[in-house]
Amino acid sequence: MEMREMIAALASQRAPAGFERGAHQTAAELLRPFVDDLETDVLGNLIGKRRCGVEGAPVVMLDAHLDEVGLIVTGYEGAFLRFDSIGGVDERILPAAEVVLLAPEGPIRGVIDALPPHVVPESEREKPVPMEKLFIDAGFSDGEQAAERVPRGTPAVYATPCFAMGEHLLAGKSLDDRSCAAILIAAMQKLHGKTLAADVAVHLAAQEEVGGRGALTGAWGVDPDYALAVDVTFGTAPGTPADRSCRLGGGTAIGLGPAAARTVSDKLIAVAEKRGIPYQLEVMGGRSGTDADEIQTTRGGVATGLVSLPLRYMHTPTEIIDLRDAEAAAELIAAWIESFGEED
Amino acid sequence: MLDTVKKLCALSGVSGWEDEVRDYILERALPFADETATDPMGNIYIFKKGAVSPDRPLMVCAHMDEVGVIVTGIDEDGCLRFDFCGGVDRRVVLGKRVFIGAQAVPGVIGIKPIHLTDPGERAAVPKLDALRVDIGAEDAADARKRVRPGDRGVFDNTIYEFGDGFLKAKALDDRVGCAAMLKLLEGELPADTWFVFTVQEEVGCRGAAVAASRVRPGFALVLEGTTAADVGGVEKGMEVCFLGRGVVIPFMDKGTIYDHAVYERFTALAEAGGVPWQTKGRIAGGTDASAIQRRDAGAAVLTVSAPLRNIHSPASVGKIGDIELMPVFAGMVLEEAARGY
Repeated sequence: MEMREMIAALASQRAPAGFERGAHQTAAELLRPFVDDLETDVLGNLIGKRRCGVEGAPVVMLDAHLDEVGLIVTGYEGAFLRFDSIGGVDERILPAAEVVLLAPEGPIRGVIDALPPHVVPESEREKPVPMEKLFIDAGFSDGEQAAERVPRGTPAVYATPCFAMGEHLLAGKSLDDRSCAAILIAAMQKLHGKTLAADVAVHLAAQEEVGGRGALTGAWGVDPDYALAVDVTFGTAPGTPADRSCRLGGGTAIGLGPAAARTVSDKLIAVAEKRGIPYQLEVMGGRSGTDADEIQTTRGGVATGLVSLPLRYMHTPTEIIDLRDAEAAAELIAAWIESFGEED
Repeated sequence: MLDTVKKLCALSGVSGWEDEVRDYILERALPFADETATDPMGNIYIFKKGAVSPDRPLMVCAHMDEVGVIVTGIDEDGCLRFDFCGGVDRRVVLGKRVFIGAQAVPGVIGIKPIHLTDPGERAAVPKLDALRVDIGAEDAADARKRVRPGDRGVFDNTIYEFGDGFLKAKALDDRVGCAAMLKLLEGELPADTWFVFTVQEEVGCRGAAVAASRVRPGFALVLEGTTAADVGGVEKGMEVCFLGRGVVIPFMDKGTIYDHAVYERFTALAEAGGVPWQTKGRIAGGTDASAIQRRDAGAAVLTVSAPLRNIHSPASVGKIGDIELMPVFAGMVLEEAARGY
């Protein structure tokens, strides 16, 4: 499948942190042709393994997270639903946002109501509406109906579809980090039928958006020698400073800093240079804010690297990525895997 | 009726660029028209004969335009500066999709990722001059291939029914009024009536002013969508009106003090006819009635609205039952007005 279709298929799934199983079927279908077996663990990580058949070969873990940020229903205000966030949601984007509630009966549409300008004093408009004063409106007539159809604990995600912008860009919800899940599957596709010198575990992680929780058990189970955390990074955009972000269309980003083993970063750069793969460098002072932080310190330690995809407007319903960067990332990851067993 | 509302809401018609809506309405209205006209503003006038011919004709109007954005400039990086057409609280556009220009180029109004914002930034709403529409252009030259300053942009146009008989769409204000008029046009009329579909209501009822001069109505019925503010978190008593409680007939809004005898006469009509109706609990909103009432020699005016949530946002919501009452009650109003006003 083409990168564009694969990202769209994955981003269309509704799976906030803790509810990743909603994306498992699609992810498993896409990954299955390129791995020897697939399993899920107790946290909801989906792991596909491809074995190289060489005794004592290193185990390489490729991680991207399957969960997305979302909302969760905590109570009722008349016919309207109270909610909190799952993961980092800037409440300023919520008024008039459209959501899909993952109710017991199936997906239900809802909108987050906003007071109209006609009844809001000018001075109030300068202040964001705090989350506790926002409500999801799913078109219920009373609180009883609301509680019956949308019980407390029902999660919700943004409703935005995945859509094209111009020739190279894709926009929509949950491109963080489904686009990177697609990148890993595309990398495995490139390696399909090739002889490898490493066992590869594709780890589509749960609960990254609430702090790398899935990666804790996932990495323990995979027990890798090497790992790559493949996640999105800030794309340069209006309001996002250029010195703290990577350019869309500028290639995949290779992470440098304490969260990335220097040997792995150096190797990734060398591979990109050798193959002429477009890349840019992303320097992180401490924690990376990705699964790399958890994977790196699993068991006796893992030589971990970071490959990132620049993305604009992270954690909003309208994230944007560049397909050329995604292609470059898949190519780099496949080439890096192939470099195991090659002479330096 | 519902199907017409959906079709109308799918069309783009930000103030001054009502063309798509106008084309659709003309096509639908022509088979029922005895006479049609337009004017330099872009209003459409559809005349239909009725059982009687009053000295000054009846007029029914609804506005074709909707709120949206207008591109004011293009930055070097290809992002678009913009302003609003009509009253939009900029808090409802953050993180939303818009479609720019006649080609409906998709764009997003993004904000800085939460990871990079400090508490101070999160406590403030970004100023309009800090917001951009990002159409994913490589640079200004690339952007200019797809858009140009002056292009209008509409909000996300997904349309669906949900919940207990609710409809979500952009531009329900005032396509519900336009749809009700198209429905009325299909039937027999009690008196000669001018159906006027106006432009530029959202920027100050400019179309209606011109229309009133041309039609010189004795009585004008304005069909609208109005703000309900019956949503969660609104203090009791602070709501304007309620979805599901029928048509809204105001005695006063921000633009008009309705002649009280007219108000009493037509609310009594609703009452006697068993039509669910409500008035506004707060003096809010304004309609084309404000322009028509005081234009030239003046006219008696009445506004009948469908209550809507989240108007002037990408996610306006109406109750289908209320919307379907609009042409029913409007027909009764015309019957009554034909007896004299």
